[in-house]
Amino acid sequence: MLDAFSRAVVSADSKTAPIGGDDLNQLRNFIASGNRRLDAVNAIASNASCMVSDAVAGMICENTGLIQAGGNCYPNRRMAACLRDAEIILRYVSYALLAGDASVLDDRCLNGLKETYTALGVPLQSTARAVAIMKAQAAAHIQDNPSEALAGAKLRKMGTPVVEDRCASLVAESSSYFDRVIAALS
Amino acid sequence: MKSVITTVVAAADAAGRFPTTSDLESVQGSIQRAAARLEAAEKLAANLDAVAKEAYDAAIKKYSYLNNAGEANSTDTFKAKCLRDIKHYLRLINYSLVVGGTGPLDEWGIAGQREVYRTLGLPTAPYVEALSFARNRGCAPRDLSAQALTEYNSLLDYVINSLS
Repeated sequence: MLDAFSRAVVSADSKTAPIGGDDLNQLRNFIASGNRRLDAVNAIASNASCMVSDAVAGMICENTGLIQAGGNCYPNRRMAACLRDAEIILRYVSYALLAGDASVLDDRCLNGLKETYTALGVPLQSTARAVAIMKAQAAAHIQDNPSEALAGAKLRKMGTPVVEDRCASLVAESSSYFDRVIAALS
Repeated sequence: MKSVITTVVAAADAAGRFPTTSDLESVQGSIQRAAARLEAAEKLAANLDAVAKEAYDAAIKKYSYLNNAGEANSTDTFKAKCLRDIKHYLRLINYSLVVGGTGPLDEWGIAGQREVYRTLGLPTAPYVEALSFARNRGCAPRDLSAQALTEYNSLLDYVINSLS
């Protein structure tokens, strides 16, 4: 498992060069935005169960066949497995966001996931849809800007001090990790 | 590669939980100390060749018999390799400063080092002398800030201890 720092070390070692200049400046940015990154991870971790249940519910609303007899979320046992898996994926994305590197997500979650799902008969398209919903939710929570129209009475805000660009780079980074999951499933 | 962040993530993963507040706090702690480490890494990267040359010269000055025929510093090839090894240690120190732990030194420098030197018939005392020279050469605030110098020196001490 690597993080942003050890990733820089591994790539410098392949050139047998010390780390200086641009690489160090990137790491300085990582440190400078460190608190924002921790807030972003906290935003995902604190809203995790809400995000997971909403994403799976959204996936089912768009394809109600999943909870009818013979569907992949029927009966409760399989629905529970589905919720559990969505939480696992979200958890590894939160690790990757904390580390600033996708290796933990790749090694411990995505490696072999598609093959496992294919063997178990889990529909990959529906899974990818649930992940896409979590991607949108994560962006909204990191920006601390969830949609009042869609959330209604369930609206949750972190109340962290929000900067002008609403953590655009962290939103982009977390989205890239969700995209990685979707790419691994398709 | 072991660092504060990967250790935290591995522990959270073993327990199957999301990163907790205390996990985030320990990452925050390492981030706060990172500025000094990166300063030392930057200064070392910029001056690595000069630092290595001075350290090498100091070692050869102390152990001048190494220049005699048949000894470890007798030919141009040997001299180049000896200097290269010192650069190698300094580069790994640069990596360890970036990561914030001794992972790169442990994995790529120290593991198997004793066996290699014994097989090649190389003395370790000159390396110790070279690194000790570098250890006492750095000066705050002339070269780098006091905190950065402390981080840099402690890694040099770590290598010196592994060789002696």
